[in-house]
Amino acid sequence: MVNCWKLIHNEMMKIYKQKSTWIMYLSLLLLIVGSGILTFAFSDVETEYSDASWRIELEEENNRLFEEMEEFEFFQEINMSLIAENNYYLEHDIKPVGYGAWHFVWENEILLSIVSLFTIIIAAGIIANEFRWGTIKLLLIRPIFRTTILISKFSAVLLFALLTTIFVIVFSWFTGAVLFGVEGLNPYIVIEKQDGLEYVSLVGETMTTFALKLIHFLMMATFAFMISSIFRNSALAIGTAVFLMMAGNSIVAYFSDKEWAKYILFANTDLSQYRNPYGPVVEGMTLPFSVVILLVHFVLFMLVAWFAFTRRDISGTY
Amino acid sequence: MGLPAVKLQGLSKTIKGKPIVNNLNLEIRPGEVFGLLGPNGAGKTTTIRMIVGLIRMTEGDVFIQGKSIKNEFKEAIREVGAIVESPEMYPFMTGKENLIHFARMIPDIDEDRIHRVMTLVGLEHAMDEKVGKYSLGMRQRLGIAQALLHRPSILILDEPTNGLDPAGIREIRHYIRNLANEEEVAVIISSHLLGEIELMCDRIGVINKGELIAIQEIRGSGKDSGPQEIKMEVKPVKKAIKLLKQQHGVESELTEGLVSFELKKELIPEVIQTLVKNGISIYEVRVTQSTLEDQFFDLIGENVVG
Repeated sequence: MVNCWKLIHNEMMKIYKQKSTWIMYLSLLLLIVGSGILTFAFSDVETEYSDASWRIELEEENNRLFEEMEEFEFFQEINMSLIAENNYYLEHDIKPVGYGAWHFVWENEILLSIVSLFTIIIAAGIIANEFRWGTIKLLLIRPIFRTTILISKFSAVLLFALLTTIFVIVFSWFTGAVLFGVEGLNPYIVIEKQDGLEYVSLVGETMTTFALKLIHFLMMATFAFMISSIFRNSALAIGTAVFLMMAGNSIVAYFSDKEWAKYILFANTDLSQYRNPYGPVVEGMTLPFSVVILLVHFVLFMLVAWFAFTRRDISGTY
Repeated sequence: MGLPAVKLQGLSKTIKGKPIVNNLNLEIRPGEVFGLLGPNGAGKTTTIRMIVGLIRMTEGDVFIQGKSIKNEFKEAIREVGAIVESPEMYPFMTGKENLIHFARMIPDIDEDRIHRVMTLVGLEHAMDEKVGKYSLGMRQRLGIAQALLHRPSILILDEPTNGLDPAGIREIRHYIRNLANEEEVAVIISSHLLGEIELMCDRIGVINKGELIAIQEIRGSGKDSGPQEIKMEVKPVKKAIKLLKQQHGVESELTEGLVSFELKKELIPEVIQTLVKNGISIYEVRVTQSTLEDQFFDLIGENVVG
């Protein structure tokens, strides 16, 4: 028996032997270093609060934020919450940690949009490319069921997403450490949550944020995987998946007054809506509800992909 | 007679009510090179794709070493090495990496075997070059290496000489004959070129409009073959016809100034001797090779017109 791991190994080899994959990693690397240097040069982040005078430093910071707010109305909302956070430290007599590697990783959550784009590209190509290269014929005349091949391909997409996310975390941490220093092993910070301000572990918060983001974009990657399996064309799969990813929120917003809006996939992909202060997109939605909706979509996508991949002839014309 | 290496049983494919391949029955022996000949669109590729399980059969089944490709796919396909149409490989990987990739999909193939097949097809020096840089001939050879990797007992080659130069074709022919003679591998080759397939195959099946319309032995046709058509330019004609009838019992007729008759090949020298002894001048003797060619060109002609 050929074990599935060998097949996944094959798929990973094919992903990482392609130049385009290395260009993806290179661009992530440049974005991380670039944003690090920009933050370092132009943003007045406090890397360390002194033991004796951190209260005064926070007060000064609040005053600065107030002035900024008066000058630019645009900053009102964000500065208000920053001031609220500072006040929480003062009221509870907690000395805040400065900006460092962990903060930088947490902020780089935004880079996961790029990672999600790359994962969609990989998922869209992993079946379609075999058809484009003509190698599908050689792949499917081995003593392995098509279902096993499909599973190995999907697993490779998951693995790629995971490895790339880990790359972003690790590389961001080291870049942050070099530029801003490290805040400590397990720094705690104040963050605004659904029930107001809370004092939480920054590392835990970062990992949760990344994991929830990962779920969001793996749904889109699964969608691209399905399109790729049906149409055997990667451009179409990338196009539709990226379009839906971009348009997803607008679609939900457009239908938000409808009773059935909460059943739309995109209303449920972002699970962080149950943790952040804004709350769920459609009122009355709960975390288990979203998980069920996500699972139903996932199973549906995979079934369609499986059916299209295993049940159809590999004839000469694609 | 042991088990046939490959057996097609009532193999049929219908797409949208249109029969593409219709009720093919065929047995191929171990060590035999079988040619599948037919014009483009005759159903060769569909047949080959059904044999290797890329296309589902509408009816019938294919048995490889007695195992059904329909119900025992893994066991059956394990015996098969194939190139289906052009031998496409991953262009961004080296020849060796491509083979490692396929080796991982079959149990028990070690590094040593990969080197062996690379050497066999003469690619040992290009092993670490990217396939994207290979010439068409090199890619074709890598395709054969890939097909031989797991020591299959059946080799299926769809148009294996497409786009190759004459030297490359000769090389491929040499490999194929070797495999069949020394390793008892059964080989199925499809082609739309009679000349090419005639040189490699023991038997040829002619396929047209999805049906097998003729099967012809090629090898060993020297001795126990049937009568062949012979045309002679002789003088005087009437005396020659008479002699043929009297001495050899051969009925001949005069067409376009040539005496033509049917005769077994091995009897030709005798006939010529008789004619010479009786003072008949022979200007030309023509032996029409086989009826296969006629049949095939009829098909091609029909294909072009239709």
